Amino acid sequence: MSNMNCETVREWIPDYVSGRLDSLDETSTQSHLNVCDECAAEVALARLIFASRVEVPDGLANRVRDAVRRERTPVSRPWWGISAAAVAALALGIGISSDNPDQIEISVPGYAYEIEEGDMWLSDDGLIAGAPAFDGLSDEALLQLLDELDVGGAGGAA
Amino acid sequence: MRDDEGPDAILSDQELVEKGRAGDDGALSGLVEQHHAAAYRVAFSMLLDDAAAQDVVQDAFIKAFRGLEGFRGDASFRTWILTIAGNEARGALRRRGRRRETALEDAGPVPSQQKAPDAEVVDTQEAARARRLMETLPEKQRLSVALRIEQGLSFKEIGEIIGSSEGAARVNCFHGIRRLRELMQ
Repeated sequence: MSNMNCETVREWIPDYVSGRLDSLDETSTQSHLNVCDECAAEVALARLIFASRVEVPDGLANRVRDAVRRERTPVSRPWWGISAAAVAALALGIGISSDNPDQIEISVPGYAYEIEEGDMWLSDDGLIAGAPAFDGLSDEALLQLLDELDVGGAGGAA
Repeated sequence: MRDDEGPDAILSDQELVEKGRAGDDGALSGLVEQHHAAAYRVAFSMLLDDAAAQDVVQDAFIKAFRGLEGFRGDASFRTWILTIAGNEARGALRRRGRRRETALEDAGPVPSQQKAPDAEVVDTQEAARARRLMETLPEKQRLSVALRIEQGLSFKEIGEIIGSSEGAARVNCFHGIRRLRELMQ
């Protein structure tokens, strides 16, 4: 007769069917199962449940890692730490009237005309096109700038 | 996040959590590696839907890592992430607008299987049958059985995950197993 009781064996069933028991405990459990139909039936069912557990999809871990990485990656900003749209607005010298949101005032600061040739471009209408200010931006930052201008900047107000 | 896990692979969960808090992406990757499978099985047990379960696992890890600063370590990281996965799955069920729990009466008769000479084939068929019947159990019984048999969790851990006491988790598992044995006969 096995010297193990049913209570102990039932505590061990998950480890037994998954092969996590050490060899000594496994032998003891097997001895008990040989003489206890109730525990043997429970182990048989547990084996079926364990064998039919759902397969984890390939690539799930990588998918989760990628999502976590994306979530933790900060949105890139210019080194001076303000939004690219604000930088563009400053560079373009655009002021938006807060008194009448339907009317956008565009002003060109006087210093814009004092900038030495080659430092900045002046467009035909007097606005600073600002190429040199954007020379240092990465492609990613430049794309972000264009996106922001399209959404809420002066570019959409024409 | 590094693809080569290096020495993080042998660190304990608590060590990985501490390194993750300090901004070590490799440590977070190690936690994903250790627990994504169990989280998926918990989510799948509730949703019975592969794509939805994968989404839940992804969201659960993102939320867990967002809240890593607040993780006090009262429970293990495993219990914590599985609890979050369970909660996310419940949320997905609510959004889906219907429960996947099926009344036992709706399961219909399961055809008995003629024993084939190949024992392995018989086991596979019986295993599939057991799984189908398991899916008919009430959610807490089904989860308790799955977490106990598939993941080897303690009843205390199961209770934390399903939102019950340790004793209630034990009773749910007991009733689930007993009901399955009846259905399998």
